Order: sequence, then structure tokens, then C-alpha cells
Amino acid sequence: MTAEALPRSQAVATGSRRDRPLDLIGIVLTALTLLVALASFFPIYWAIITSVKPDGEVISGSNSLWPGRFVFDSYIHIWNNTNIATWYVNSFVTSIVITALVIVSSAGCAYALSQLDFPGRRIIYVLILACFMVPMQALIVNHFVLMAQFKLLNTWAGIILPQLIVPVVIIVYKQFFDSVPKEFREAAQMDSAGHFKILFRIYLPMNWGVTAALAIITFIGAWNSFLWPFLAATGEATMTVPVGITQVKDAYGIVYGKLMASAVVAGLPVAIVYLIFQRRVTQAIMLSAGVKG
Amino acid sequence: MADIVLSDVSKSYGQVQVLDSVSMHIKSGEFIVFLGPSGCGKSTLLRMIAGLEEVNGGQIHIGDTRVDQLPPNQRGVAMVFQNYALYPHMTVRENMSFGLQNVGTDKAEIARRVEDAARMLEIGALLERRPSQLSGGQRQRVAIGRAIVREPRAFLLDEPLSNLDASLRVRTRVELAQLHQRIGTTMVFVTHDQTEAMTLASRIVVMNNRRIEQIGTPMEVYSRPASRFVAAFVGSPAMNFLPVSSIAESDGQAVVNAGGVSIATEIPIANLPSGDGLTLGVRPDALKVTAGGSISGVVEIMERLGDRTLVHVRLPDGSLVVAEDGGKSALEPGATVSLAAARSEMHIFDAEGIAYHSS
Ligand SMILES: Nc1ncnc2c1ncn2[C@@H]1O[C@H](COP(=O)(O)OP(=O)(O)O)[C@@H](O)[C@H]1O
Ligand SMILES: [Mg+2]
Repeated sequence: MTAEALPRSQAVATGSRRDRPLDLIGIVLTALTLLVALASFFPIYWAIITSVKPDGEVISGSNSLWPGRFVFDSYIHIWNNTNIATWYVNSFVTSIVITALVIVSSAGCAYALSQLDFPGRRIIYVLILACFMVPMQALIVNHFVLMAQFKLLNTWAGIILPQLIVPVVIIVYKQFFDSVPKEFREAAQMDSAGHFKILFRIYLPMNWGVTAALAIITFIGAWNSFLWPFLAATGEATMTVPVGITQVKDAYGIVYGKLMASAVVAGLPVAIVYLIFQRRVTQAIMLSAGVKG
Repeated sequence: MADIVLSDVSKSYGQVQVLDSVSMHIKSGEFIVFLGPSGCGKSTLLRMIAGLEEVNGGQIHIGDTRVDQLPPNQRGVAMVFQNYALYPHMTVRENMSFGLQNVGTDKAEIARRVEDAARMLEIGALLERRPSQLSGGQRQRVAIGRAIVREPRAFLLDEPLSNLDASLRVRTRVELAQLHQRIGTTMVFVTHDQTEAMTLASRIVVMNNRRIEQIGTPMEVYSRPASRFVAAFVGSPAMNFLPVSSIAESDGQAVVNAGGVSIATEIPIANLPSGDGLTLGVRPDALKVTAGGSISGVVEIMERLGDRTLVHVRLPDGSLVVAEDGGKSALEPGATVSLAAARSEMHIFDAEGIAYHSS
């Protein structure tokens, strides 16, 4: 170790990380991160302030970053003049049902694939992996025809059923179950637990984090899904929020304030879920990224 | 009470045979240890008794019941896993109660059994903790406790001490022996550690290469090993092996020429096979440093253990043997020593490894 290097390494050892001066690369990277964060956040910020500007100020084309006056007319307007309450109910019901069904069925499916020995389980898993490669959009016509034939268009069931196919949840669960040492299952077997008990009393509770993470990404995905609900719900009575807000535009021409207000309202639940479960969401994204990578 | 009887039990994984026609009779209340090198099939055999591994051939009876087709929970045995497999999200009490709840034992009875077991294992204060809040030794007790509350006909333990550090391992070994004395239930214990086997077992089942080499009490296995494998595997320091160059007779007993010296045995020469490939086996404790000994050699290394000293001696033909001297041995490397071999403790092994002992 050279004499020069000594003081610096001591500084690292004694000082907290914050005390350490950033080197040039650090500064550049930090600035870059800030820039990207700002760029990502700006549209959201713009939507929020536009929604609380008076209509006149929005239309006048002023690009001020702060409203001259805060008004909630846009919000009051969409509350009074659209079916947003119904859309909210539809969104909540469908998203929660989708989340619950996807979690329970995927956990069961993944448990079977991971822990049980039955003919064809390899092939089934390969098929599920293959489903993962097929985007929803490619199947949407089939879904539509199928749901139409079942007479499920414009019903909650019609919105929900095609969205129950979430292979990534099965894949993440299977990887989780594969990683549990087999002794846990054997100990439970010796403790007279059947497979359902092993799944719901041992495997899932052993790490609720996995389930919480998967439930959150499923919920967010279901809440934000647009294309299928847009096709499946043609009447306002069964529209979900993302579909419904397209109606705002249609009804009033281009009224930016109201449009932005409905966008903010539509995004609110996801924002709340995200803020509460921030860590879990990140974990979920990493879990599913691990599958994709 | 129930005996465990294995008859011609075999096991293969695909093309690979892991156990070949294994038979044994474990008497009720015995402490049986399966001993053998890693990969010899001990765990597989234990797991077949537990019902966690399918039996490919043969039968297993526990008491009067044939169990090899029964699911694990109907065999009346409890298992302690090497990694304990305590359910991490349950408290110690829940871990111990889970199996009883599943078979519908009533609450008061479960509470009584858990309290009893906890008192016996001195884990009463830990009942509301989770496994992550326990030390290795405590987890091990909980794993045993979870087995005890089921009041099984036999305990199956797969290397239960191997995750403990050395001093805890010795202490737990003693406690396990005490526990067995107290409750008297059959225990089947798997280990690759011959010291554990020697200290715990009523009988040791020495296994190697898909089959049983010998079943016997620790002293039988130690002093009358059935094969060269057993002789080499059991005992520390290990037995010395010297190729036999020729055999002479004295009073019907074999006198062998090995290591360049002549060594008298009490093995009847009539029992020995004719032909080459014989090996003499002698444990270090049967080869003592003595002033008037008939075997002479040169000291290479001294290993002082305090109460005794292991002396590595180079024999005239160049082979190296380990002999024993007292704790205060005054020998130095390079010194010439004479050794005396205890005649009754000599073993001869033929080319197939079969052992011949004093009658
Ligand atoms: N599930 C399995 N599939 C294939 N081979 C196995 C399996 N389990 C164990 N084996 C093989 O069986 C042999 C015996 O294993 P095991 O009973 O665990 O040995 P031990 O407990 O004596 O170390 C080993 O060679 C091991 O590789
Ligand atoms: Mg093993």
C-alpha cells in the first residue's frame, strides 16, 4: 500500500458513505439518473397540474409549470357527467377476482408441475412456457369469438376469463416450489398433510413474499389492461376505468383538463398500491424479470 | 412395541442399483446405526423404511404389518431430517402440533404431549419462537420434539448431528443416548461417522457398495470385523494392513511373515484359504511399543494424544505401521523401537476381503 492510498482508505473505513466525495463518474451517473427520473415523472406531473388548471388556462396554451389557480372543476365534472363510479366498481371487481383466481390456480398448477410425478408434466410445462411467448393480442380475436359464443360479452365474466391466463405467475411459482428443499414436503407428509395442506399451509405461508409480489403485479396488470376490456365491454355499464376514460374524450371533444383528471383518477389505485407495496413491486418485477432473462 | 424387519429390500434409480437385497431384523427398543461412507445408500434405506422412497423389491414389516406399500404417515414412524425441515413460518409449538392436528388429535391431548416433550428436551421456554430465532442445537431438539409428540413406534434419524459444531455434537450425542434410555423406543440412526456409531449403537449395520457388510454390536464390529472394508472403516486410528508374504504353522495357528518380520497369530491355519493375496490386519492398540518386542523398526513420526502416543514405525521391508506407546513416551523420530503384537488381536483378510479371526 502506498502512502498516498492510506488516508483515502481510512476515510472510507471511518466515514459514512455520505461523507465520501463523489468522483466524476459518480456525478455524471447521478445527474443522468435524475434526468431520466425527471423525464419519466414529467408527463405525470403535467397531467396532474393540467387537471387542476381552470379550463381557460389550459386552452390558452400557456405552458406554465404551476397553475395560476387551483380548481377541481374537471374532477367534479367527470364525477357528475360520466359513469366513473360504475367503471371503478367494474375495475375493482374484475381486477380483484382476476388476481385471486390467478394466484390460486397458478399456485395449484405450479405445485403440481413442481412436486407431483404424472405423465405429461414436462409437456404441459413446455406448453405453459410457450403460452408465455404468445402475446394476448395474438389471441384476442379467438377470445372475442369464444366469449361472444358463450354470450359473455358485456359481463364481468367475459372481461375476467381471458385474463386468467398469466403463465409468468405459474412459472415464478414453479421456480419457487422447485427451490424449496424436498424435506419440507416429506416432513409434512410424515405429519399426515395432503397436497392441499402442503401447498396452502406449508409452501405458500413459508414465503408470503412471493405470493404478495405476484398478486401485486397481477392486480396492476389487470387494472391497467385495456385492449381486452375495451373489446369485451361495449356498453358503459360494464366498462373498466381505462376503457371508460376513452369515453370522456368522445363525449366532450378534446377537453384536456377533464381528460387529465380522468387519467389521474384511473391511475390512482395503481399509484396507491405501488406506494404501499413499493418494495414488493420491485421484488415482483425482478422475479418475473428473472424468468424473462 | 414393534420390530422392524427388512426382507431382501432392493432399490434402483433407473439403471443404477443403489441397494441390493438388504435384509435385517431390528428388535424393538434397539438403537440401530446405519454406518457407511457417503453414497452407500444409508439414507435411501432409511427413507424406504419411512415411506419416502419407493421399494423396488422385497418387503418391510413393522410389527405385524407389512408397510412397504403404505404412505409415510400410516407407518407409525417419525423422522428427523438432517436439515431438520422445521416449518419456518410456524412457532415451535405449531411445528410440534401440526402432525397431531392433521390426524384430529384433540387440543388438550396435543397440548399435553407438546408440554411433556418440551419439558423432556428442555425447550419449554422456546415454544412460542420461530425456527429462525433458535440456535442450531435448539432447532435440533425441536426436530426431535416434533418426532416425540407423535409417540411413534420408531424414530428414524438421518445424520441429525452433522449440522452441529464439534462440541455440541458430542453433547447432543450423549443426550440422544439418554433420551433413548428414557423412552426406550426403537431408533434407527444414519451416520458416516464411526465414532457416533460406536458410542450410540446397540448394533451397527455397516454398509458399503449397495449391501450390508456386517451387523453387530460396536465391539463385535470393532474386534471381529467381517471384512477388510469394515476393519478399515471402523476404528480410529485406522487398522494397519500388511501384505502377507508367507505363512508358517505353530500349534495349528498361523504365523505370518508380513512387513519383513514374523508375526504370530491365534488364527487356526485350517480356516485360512490357500493361495496368495492375504493381508494381515492389526490395530494400533494391538501393536505396543515394548522393550522385548519381536518386531523392530524405526520411528518416523510421533503423534502425542496426551494419554497415549501414536508412533509411526518403518518396518524392515519399508512398510509403515502405526503403533501405540504410553502418554509419556520418551521416543524420538529416528530411534529404533521394538513392538509387540497381541496374538489374539490379529486379523487376516483374503483377496476378496473376507476376514479370519482368532477362534
Ligand atoms: N433421487 C435419486 N436419483 C438418483 N440417484 C439417487 C437419488 N437419491 C440417491 N441417489 C443415489 O443413491 C446412492 C445412495 O444415496 P444415499 O442413500 O443418499 O447415500 P448415503 O445416505 O449413504 O450417503 C448415491 O449414489 C446417490 O447418488
Ligand atoms: Mg445420506
